[in-house]
Amino acid sequence: MKERKIKIKTENLEVYYGEKQALFDVNLEIHEKEVTALIGPSGCGKSTFIRCINRMNDVIDICKIKGSIEIDGKNINHKSIDVVRLREKVGMVFQKPNPFPKSIYDNIAYGPKIHGITKNKGELDNLIENSLRKAALWNEVKDRLHEPGTSLSGGQQQRLCIARAISVNPEIILMDEPCSALDPIATAKIEELIDELRETYTIIIVTHSMAQAVRVSQKTGFFHLGKLIEFGTTEKMFKNPSNNMTQDYITGRFG
Amino acid sequence: MTKDQRIKKRHRAEARFKLYGLVSIILALTFVGFLVFTIFSKGSDAFSKTTIKVNVSFNAEILSLPSNPSLEDIQDADYYDLALESINKLLLTSNPDDEKLLKKLFSPDFDLEIKNYLVKNPDLINQTQDINLTSSDDIDQLFKGNFPRDIPEDRRQVNDRQLEIFDELVAQDKIQKKFNNYFFTNGDSRDPELAGIGASLLGSFFSVVICLILSFPIAILASIYLEEFAPKNKITDFIEININNLAAVPSIVYGLLGLGILLGFMNFPRSTPLVAGITLALMTLPRIIIPCRASLKAVPPSIREGALAVGASKFQSVFHHVVPLSLPGTLSGTIIGLAQALGETAPLILIGMVAFVVDIPGSPIDPASSLPAQVYLWSESAERGFVEKTSATIMILLTFLIVMNFIAVYLRQKFEKKWN
Ligand SMILES: Nc1ncnc2c1ncn2[C@@H]1O[C@H](COP(=O)(O)OP(=O)(O)OP(=O)(O)O)[C@@H](O)[C@H]1O
Ligand SMILES: [Mg+2]
Repeated sequence: MKERKIKIKTENLEVYYGEKQALFDVNLEIHEKEVTALIGPSGCGKSTFIRCINRMNDVIDICKIKGSIEIDGKNINHKSIDVVRLREKVGMVFQKPNPFPKSIYDNIAYGPKIHGITKNKGELDNLIENSLRKAALWNEVKDRLHEPGTSLSGGQQQRLCIARAISVNPEIILMDEPCSALDPIATAKIEELIDELRETYTIIIVTHSMAQAVRVSQKTGFFHLGKLIEFGTTEKMFKNPSNNMTQDYITGRFG
Repeated sequence: MTKDQRIKKRHRAEARFKLYGLVSIILALTFVGFLVFTIFSKGSDAFSKTTIKVNVSFNAEILSLPSNPSLEDIQDADYYDLALESINKLLLTSNPDDEKLLKKLFSPDFDLEIKNYLVKNPDLINQTQDINLTSSDDIDQLFKGNFPRDIPEDRRQVNDRQLEIFDELVAQDKIQKKFNNYFFTNGDSRDPELAGIGASLLGSFFSVVICLILSFPIAILASIYLEEFAPKNKITDFIEININNLAAVPSIVYGLLGLGILLGFMNFPRSTPLVAGITLALMTLPRIIIPCRASLKAVPPSIREGALAVGASKFQSVFHHVVPLSLPGTLSGTIIGLAQALGETAPLILIGMVAFVVDIPGSPIDPASSLPAQVYLWSESAERGFVEKTSATIMILLTFLIVMNFIAVYLRQKFEKKWN
């Protein structure tokens, strides 16, 4: 497999919640149009890490970040970076589906509206259809776009949130355990979807399921107690990990 | 104790607890029922008044009106003689003593009523018309059956001859019960049959509107800032504690504040809805901020994160999502705060809103009374006519409070969004 361009690069990344250090010296390169899975025991800092990439940690007062995170070679914590533009470029899907308590249509229209992406209603309608199609939800909701998003099933809600993330045309999508609340069928649908989205987007997915990491990702990173223990191709990581701890974790001996 | 006994004991404990609960509810309902019953039974009479039908001939000569009188002429004329002549026709024989007694059966404003009738119907000049004139309070109570007829004459307000005339008029069907419009349109009066809640109703209305205009935007903005934007530090904590303390400060303290600062220092006019509204706004502010903050807090953080994650700014996430979602709670909190302000008496007493106000206030800077203060004022009067008006005013006040609380509950239920 040929090496793709580097999309995200962190150097000596350290994160503190008040006095408590949550990430230690994380150095990582994530390539364009690949799915990178992050695994590790609970509380090891996976969510903390991906929330750094769209600066979602800004809203937590006590959170302090050291080191650098670069996207396309630019430090995202630099003064000149507008966090709103950054988040337009780096979408996020949360562990628990969180559609706005509005109609399905409005859920997806919100992002394009605030960024002024579409010029008229026709364009907006097209964009919404495209986003829903990409999120493999169009067929299920095309006749009820004006019903509340919260009336959908859990799996549909999560795909709605993916469609919402796609709607502003991001380059990177962060997913924090997107399938943890879903049944196997909905999970399979979302995994299939991730595989398709990889053509267009750079995806980072946090997961507790080894099987899922194997199925959807090309690269995997293993975190433990705030440290990045091992990072490499998924294939190598699961067949022949270089670190004993990784070996123990993926074979279920701890964590 | 065996296991069976234990289970039985547990069931008995539960049954006992349910019984206590039921008894408490029944007791509470009994008290409320008692309250409502006494107020209604005392107050319902105030909504009707007794009138005496009088045949009035609007004789232009007696009124000394020019041949083609303008409305002003009609307004300026003296109606007293005409009024006396008209009511005296009720007597079969003319007798000066009887005429004096007869006059006492009417409210002191009976000539004004005739005048107002003509002002409204100026075509009636030199014609005759039956007019229902308001009776005096004693006759009103007599007709409503609240007047003790059988006590000795010297201890009665109405003497035997007057009773005779009254009975005669009743027999002629001249005495009737009518809807008491004065109760709603008149200001206060020394005569119960003329006293109304007009001045206090408008006073309360102006006060509450001023209170709303001042407290609602300030409270909303303060709670949005504190909840969404303020850094979480010692100063914010300090402000939060103080808001909670202020909400618990007895309302009379706010009255003192209004008296000292608004009246004493800033020389605002006394007894006016303006001062009352500002004072009530000070009192209501913390009481609105608390529910507003609670309803902002109740919006799940995941909604904020969802908005931020698609690139909304902090401001957008707050004003596009959090504030609209908190609106039902915010509005119902505001309405309940205003309902409390509407029923508040103590601070108004201090700023002079218990004044005896006859004229209906035309603006918030005219002297006015307020509904609860009116209740307080009338409750000190011994006349039966004021007793029923006190209860009737309470009924009106309670109606407003119940309606406001109902709106608050309705808003909360109707617009509350469910999220999972
Ligand atoms: N808002 C916060 N304030 C303080 N400490 C936090 C906060 N968020 C996370 N932490 C701490 O940072 C550490 C890493 O948390 P993080 O949520 O990144 O773990 P995680 O790997 O995502 O775990 P999980 O798999 O359970 O989601 C934990 O020890 C946690 O206690
Ligand atoms: Mg997590």
